[in-house]
Amino acid sequence: MDGLLQLLINGISIGATYALFALGYTLVFSVLGVINFAHGAVFTCGAYFTYLLLGGAVGSNGMLAGMHFPLALPLLVALPLAGIGAAAMGLLVEAVAFKPLRRRGAEPLLYLITSLGAGVILVNLIQLLMGAEAYALPGNLLGRWPAVLALGHGVQIRTVQLLLLIVAGIAMLILSLWLNRSSYGKALQAVAEDGTTARLLGINSGAIIQLAFAIASFLAGISGGLVALSVNIGGPYFGIGYGLKGLGVLVLGGLGSAPGAVLGGLIIGIAEALVPAKLSAYKDAVAFAFLFLMLILRPQGLLGKPPMEKV
Amino acid sequence: MSAPTSTNNLLEIEQLSVCFGGLQALDRVNLSINEGEILGLIGPNGAGKTTLFNVITGLTAPSHGKLRWQGNSLAGKKPEQICRLGLARTFQNLRLFRELSCINNLQVAMGSNNRRAALELLALVQLQEKADAAAASLAYGDQRKLEFARALATKPKLLLLDEAAAGMNPIEKQDLQALVQRVRCQFKITILIIEHHVPLMMQLCDRLAVLNFGRCIALGSPEQVRRDPLVIEAYLGSQR
Amino acid sequence: MIDISLFVLMLLGALLALAVYLPLRAGQLSLATPGFYTIGGTVAALLSTQLPGLGGSDAVYPLTSLLLEMIVAIAVAGLLAFLIGKPVLKLRGIYLAIATIALVEILRVVLLSSPWFGAAVGIFAIPQPFEGPEGYLIAYGLLLAIVAWACARLERQPLGMAMAAIRDDELAARCMGVSTDQVKLIAFVLSAIVAAAAGVLAAHYFNSWNARQANFDASITTLAFVVLGGSRTWLGPVIGGLVLTALPELLRPIGDLRLIVFGLVILLGPIFIPQGLIKSKQS
Repeated sequence: MDGLLQLLINGISIGATYALFALGYTLVFSVLGVINFAHGAVFTCGAYFTYLLLGGAVGSNGMLAGMHFPLALPLLVALPLAGIGAAAMGLLVEAVAFKPLRRRGAEPLLYLITSLGAGVILVNLIQLLMGAEAYALPGNLLGRWPAVLALGHGVQIRTVQLLLLIVAGIAMLILSLWLNRSSYGKALQAVAEDGTTARLLGINSGAIIQLAFAIASFLAGISGGLVALSVNIGGPYFGIGYGLKGLGVLVLGGLGSAPGAVLGGLIIGIAEALVPAKLSAYKDAVAFAFLFLMLILRPQGLLGKPPMEKV
Repeated sequence: MSAPTSTNNLLEIEQLSVCFGGLQALDRVNLSINEGEILGLIGPNGAGKTTLFNVITGLTAPSHGKLRWQGNSLAGKKPEQICRLGLARTFQNLRLFRELSCINNLQVAMGSNNRRAALELLALVQLQEKADAAAASLAYGDQRKLEFARALATKPKLLLLDEAAAGMNPIEKQDLQALVQRVRCQFKITILIIEHHVPLMMQLCDRLAVLNFGRCIALGSPEQVRRDPLVIEAYLGSQR
Repeated sequence: MIDISLFVLMLLGALLALAVYLPLRAGQLSLATPGFYTIGGTVAALLSTQLPGLGGSDAVYPLTSLLLEMIVAIAVAGLLAFLIGKPVLKLRGIYLAIATIALVEILRVVLLSSPWFGAAVGIFAIPQPFEGPEGYLIAYGLLLAIVAWACARLERQPLGMAMAAIRDDELAARCMGVSTDQVKLIAFVLSAIVAAAAGVLAAHYFNSWNARQANFDASITTLAFVVLGGSRTWLGPVIGGLVLTALPELLRPIGDLRLIVFGLVILLGPIFIPQGLIKSKQS
């Protein structure tokens, strides 16, 4: 029983990361109806920003070899700053890969290609500047806190996991409050419902779309930093795997549904944690198997709205 | 209102209702379409005319009621099956294959790459010169004519024209009227037509059906319908 | 100096691009091409290394055995595409794209994890039917010629026109009597067959094979071939496949910057030439 509880805790904390990731996808999807394939690269940027802001030095293979940020900031300052850096990257992606197509009313397929192009550029820029090696965040970040908290009955949680859960929870709470209460949030939902009508009502849909990108990328940046803290940075490509899993989460929860993204993230995180060790090689297929079954059985996802076609 | 099963009934619509959520788009509509006639469907916007077309062509499932085509039920048939049974339509908001050439548009509908037959149909609507131009490049009126020819290319027994003359100037409207009458004789087909231009419909149609709020409120010859007090109140009264 | 192996890879790129093009012509964004390519390669690698009978007595692997592998791979990929296509092609637009991404991911994890398929290390020492890259150049040239000719023919047939009609307006196509489900399924199966055939040759050419070929990057790179070359007619993907495969190699002198330039090409291509390099004759 305790073993199961432990698995659940592990699953929930990894699921929270997936959920943060999928929230970013779903925000952009709900206002534009397309998927931003540069999201994984923005997540990676967040991880590297966190590393640098914490005072980490660049390894020997990049163009910036040996350089480091003059200050070693505390984690709770570095993380939001990395998020802001990632948001800036997200806005850049929007400006070069989305805005020119949006102005022309291009077919959705093209967004997929341009956003991927933007992602390829970002990932390879990181590789050029910082090299292809893995980076480990400094180990003493937690200061006086213990690395592992015992919850009794042999069940424990890593402090990093707990932090991940808390940050994810706060981010989701603020996001849902903001979406439903503030005038900006309502405007965003209006654009998501019907862009043309929202424009007629005087809502600046361009600004709302930029806002959606900024928030989505901020969340991706923070989750990038937290995952780096939890499992290290595996190299410039490490965001791609999370990006693809985020897609699974997105579909499971329902495209364009924020609560769905959270629910989907938790389900996939827990399901992965429950895969027995003997079959752990197949673990990475779990999210995609869920995704695939969901698409076949209920394409709108758990909490999404079914699409309608007008004749 | 109409006599049930008789041999020359091509399509019978019985007690047909369609609900979208709380909205009753069609309400117990009864209508029989006789072989060889031109039946006009008029009524104010939102009366359910296009919904009726969508139900007939299999795009919208009815909530209640029956459709019988030459005596056989159309229930559960897919749009492509219904088309192959001999029912073809045009669309209110033009749905051409915009990137395909005019001739390819017809060839898709014919299901063959017979260029000669497609050119003959194009000539019928005077578009033979534009055979290899992309459908999207045509003027609006020409696009309507191309859609008409595309529907004919499926070799229908019943042709459903949705707002056939929308966006056409008076001369084009006259041409269209002549064309519809010619096509009926030449191809021996039955035509169900939706059109807002009432004078045109009075001249063109053998019978008129009037829909209002999803109900069929009148059915008869143009003369009868014109004098029907319900129609005058509900439909003509609401015209500008 | 450009190596002959680059030309082999360019022809392979053009073939994979045609595999992406076929469903896309019918408006279906399938990213499953690297999956079927991997299946083709895996079938060839397994047959040629596990069945001693196929090797013959010569030092050089017999062409008849290669042809046999091709037939088996086409049958396996075609059947799989048929079975998967039925449910998957009910999905529209981005949903189909995501489902096919998932398929490729599941396939890779399964192939890499099961010992029958060589697991993570893959299958080695795949016998060579040709003595040098020239033989592969001819074989790929021949395969590309056949596939391109078939695509060109298809485009003038009712089936090819129906595919383009579905892309333009699926609902109108149905109302004009086109069995859209059937047409989409045929396009999907044909695509799988082309990709699998390309994979059979690739397994021999690369001499070793593992499922890491089936990844998301490959899906997007092959899609980029088609988007940049043009997806209205067969020539577009062929040109796109040839050029974009050559590009990173030709850019090799600029070193690490080359992938950034490649990224710029995929980013800017759709913005400046949305229809691709090769447009349809009507527009």
